[in-house]
Amino acid sequence: MTHEHDGSSIDLERRLVQVMAENRLTRRQLLERMGALGIAAALAPIVAACAQAGLTSPSPSSSAAGSGPTSSATAVPSASAAASASPSAAASVAAASPPTPEKDLIVYNWDSYIGENTIAQFEDKYGIKVKYVRFTDAVTQMASLRKDGKGGGYDVSYPASTEIPGLVRDGVIQPLHREWIPNIANLGADWQNPSYDPNNQNSVPNYWWTTGFTWDPAKIPADLTSWDALWDPAYSGKIGMLDDVQECFAAASFKLGLPINSTDDAELDQALALLEQQKPLLRKYTDDDIGDMTSGQLWISHAWSGDWVQMTYDNPAIKYVIPSEGAIRGSDTMVITSGAQHPIAANLWIDFNLDARISAANSNWTGYLGPNAAAMETINPALLADPNLNPSAEMYAKLTELIQLEGANLDKYTQRWNALRA
Amino acid sequence: MADLPLGERTVAAGAATDARPPGGPRRRSRLGGAFFVLPGIVWLGAFFLVPLAAILIVSLGTNDATGHIDLSVLNLRNYVQAIRPEYVPAFANSLRYAALTTVLSILIGYPIAYWISRYGGRRKVLLLILVMLPFWTSYLIRTYAWMIILRDNGVLNSMLQAVGLTSEPIALLNTDFSVVLGMTYGFLPFAILPLYVSIDRLDENLVQAARDLYASGRSAFLHVTLPLTMPGIIAAALLTFIPAIGDYVTPDLLGGAQTTTIAKVVQVIFTSGRDWPYGSALGFLLMVVTLGGTLLALRSLRRETFAA
Amino acid sequence: MRTGRNRWLTGFAALTYAFLFAPIVILIIFSFNVSRRNFVWLGFTTDWYPKLFANQDLIDALGITLQVAVIAVIGSTILGSLLGLGLARLHFRGSGATETLLLLPMVTPEIIMGISLLIFFSQLFAQNGSLAQISIAHITFCISYVAVTVRARAVNLDPRLEEAARDLGASATGAFWHVTLPLIAPAVAAGAMLAFALSFDDLVITSFNAGVDSTTLPIFIYSSLKFGVTPQINAISTIIVAVVAVVLLIAWRLGAFGGADTTVVAEPDAV
Repeated sequence: MTHEHDGSSIDLERRLVQVMAENRLTRRQLLERMGALGIAAALAPIVAACAQAGLTSPSPSSSAAGSGPTSSATAVPSASAAASASPSAAASVAAASPPTPEKDLIVYNWDSYIGENTIAQFEDKYGIKVKYVRFTDAVTQMASLRKDGKGGGYDVSYPASTEIPGLVRDGVIQPLHREWIPNIANLGADWQNPSYDPNNQNSVPNYWWTTGFTWDPAKIPADLTSWDALWDPAYSGKIGMLDDVQECFAAASFKLGLPINSTDDAELDQALALLEQQKPLLRKYTDDDIGDMTSGQLWISHAWSGDWVQMTYDNPAIKYVIPSEGAIRGSDTMVITSGAQHPIAANLWIDFNLDARISAANSNWTGYLGPNAAAMETINPALLADPNLNPSAEMYAKLTELIQLEGANLDKYTQRWNALRA
Repeated sequence: MADLPLGERTVAAGAATDARPPGGPRRRSRLGGAFFVLPGIVWLGAFFLVPLAAILIVSLGTNDATGHIDLSVLNLRNYVQAIRPEYVPAFANSLRYAALTTVLSILIGYPIAYWISRYGGRRKVLLLILVMLPFWTSYLIRTYAWMIILRDNGVLNSMLQAVGLTSEPIALLNTDFSVVLGMTYGFLPFAILPLYVSIDRLDENLVQAARDLYASGRSAFLHVTLPLTMPGIIAAALLTFIPAIGDYVTPDLLGGAQTTTIAKVVQVIFTSGRDWPYGSALGFLLMVVTLGGTLLALRSLRRETFAA
Repeated sequence: MRTGRNRWLTGFAALTYAFLFAPIVILIIFSFNVSRRNFVWLGFTTDWYPKLFANQDLIDALGITLQVAVIAVIGSTILGSLLGLGLARLHFRGSGATETLLLLPMVTPEIIMGISLLIFFSQLFAQNGSLAQISIAHITFCISYVAVTVRARAVNLDPRLEEAARDLGASATGAFWHVTLPLIAPAVAAGAMLAFALSFDDLVITSFNAGVDSTTLPIFIYSSLKFGVTPQINAISTIIVAVVAVVLLIAWRLGAFGGADTTVVAEPDAV
């Protein structure tokens, strides 16, 4: 997997983004004056429609990881053409200028989950200082966001899309100021109105992924395709599982052929028994699958697809597979907490990350693809062409989404998980 | 510099006894005690005792469906659940790691303390400072140093392979070995200091007299030096056992899938789980084990002190 | 006989010192490693040091850590010194209970103190972690160490010194200020240094009580250790080790480790 992370290409990209940002700024200033005349408001729907038309239409056969964007991206345009023709630039015509943003922004996110230079570019553009706080696992993330019922002091976070209905119901997140997020038009048509959050009123879809496993062929020279590999005594002491309760139970359920997301006690006990059986073979439940695989601590590990891409930066030989029994697919979002101290900056952050080039840079660096149709043109074609990252419709059908666990059902999982880990 | 006044304090404080000047203090002409101790007592009462009581109360409550703590009906359900067999391995790990760490720290700490005291000469203080220097740097940083050393392709495995002792990397990190090593390294200075103090206090003439009476230096050591320095050994044991049994950071960073300690379980419940009553029950049990061990050690310390 | 034991012991002592220092030395060496992931040695560079000072999150964490440490030192030194003095000066009703209260925080595992304060603040005051909360927590766990240090010195003071001052016409307060306080000052300073070190390095109690605004240096380092480290962490460690070593050695050269001040080096014996 080739990847552009040599200095020169980053510099070029950065310069392009800067040029774009400057253009946008002046265009926006112009539009402010137009807005005063009411022209912008009248133009907005038309421009939005144009932006839509400019997008590649995603394949109707799959909602999330369509093959449509893949084919479109194979016609790689030159970088400058992409920049000038970027629909995001056109979409910003509809922008109502937000008030002066706050000076700070606190982002609560996974480690290595945005582009290498995204924060610096955002800080340069807006003069807002970003504090990027990392969590180790999704359960901790939700506990922190919910501990005071309004986001735990963070401004922006990245919960899984399945969490959105609960977060909205409990008032943990606030509706987006869509007029300050013109780049929302960059989302593919399939993602403009997701079932978990109609019309993206409270969240913006960010990335999608699959959960399979990775292995180092230098240590395990085999063509692995089944979850069985993570239970293979031949790799005893070199196996890692993600430190994630739902993912682990899902892996065991796939292997057993049980329904995923079960809340049936007997079925959960079966999955637990299988995980208990696996535990002596494990080296660790890992929070850092990337580091553990590339350092050789693990030979084979349960892993998220994007993390695998990041592993290949250090060890290009590492492989990843979506197991034949089926696997988890997921998507996540960007949200603004209801208690956010810096809501304007938070909306600007979301808009910035929806920018075609920033979004592409995020995907190119993290290995996670997203629903940003405008970004497809500048995403590394190798990522788009990889069936593990961008599954075919046939493969897609074998993927299942996790559900949001609440109350007694959540307790069923956590009690078993605590017992497993003890 | 030769006689450090550490001895009394270590032992006395450890034994919760007091070494006061004979005759007792005169109260009459000096500022009174309440003025001095009241602010501290109030502070510790408010921010130490009350929170401790809160753990106990919450541990008797239940976690309702929305994740709030319900204290309307107090019961022992959480304790019954806490002693279920699934949690035995974590309790066993905690006890095993703490015991091994304590024993190793004393086995390593005693000779070095003895050496500094007997052969340190004028450089005693410098040698002590050197022992304490690692302690004064962050515990996390020292643990991280072991991560670099113990990895599969880390310093130690590279060296072993370079000299041809092994051909494949040995799994050192994420094992019981790495956890006990990390804890021993982390808490060793806690053991050396009290050992040093008690050895340094020991009157060399006693050993010399015993040497004259006993046949060998070995039995002089076993019958005189060792019993007389027992308070230091017990203080050292306490000072390594207490932090070791409550440690979750070392097992988290140096351990693996099989090295979960009860403190780690408690930590996970409080940072990512919702069932605080249950976590409180586990924490309270941990507290009971620790205090039990401490009281036991203190009692034998008192006995030793009187015997001496 | 004696020289034989000496040789064995000296060898063992050398090994122990090697065991204590080898990890620190390797840590320092790897702070000059080119490799970003820092697993194997790829070459020499000093780049990580300037990068360190450009890392705003790390600088912020250092600032917060120092801020909390200063508050903890001031609070715990005042409360702890008074407590230590009071206990040394007189027996009063409940002084036995006070001693036990003083010892309890030192024999309580850190995690228990951490969760107890977490429950306390969140259930009674609906607080979810803040700078104020960790400052209170730090004062609480430092008090006992300061008190024990000061008491050890105060117990050995000759009460006749203060009485002599009274005989010469000083008031009770005056005698305290001008006689007792200067005499225990070294122990107070030692206690304060101890409190600073404890506060500066605390991870466990802090992590349960920290909020968004209170990412201290240990919390920052811990999260870095969880997600693949860079030699930046080695670089900051090297700087910390160097500062500590220089401070301790200067203190030693100045002869600061006499009397009760030895506690500064000998922190653990405070229990």
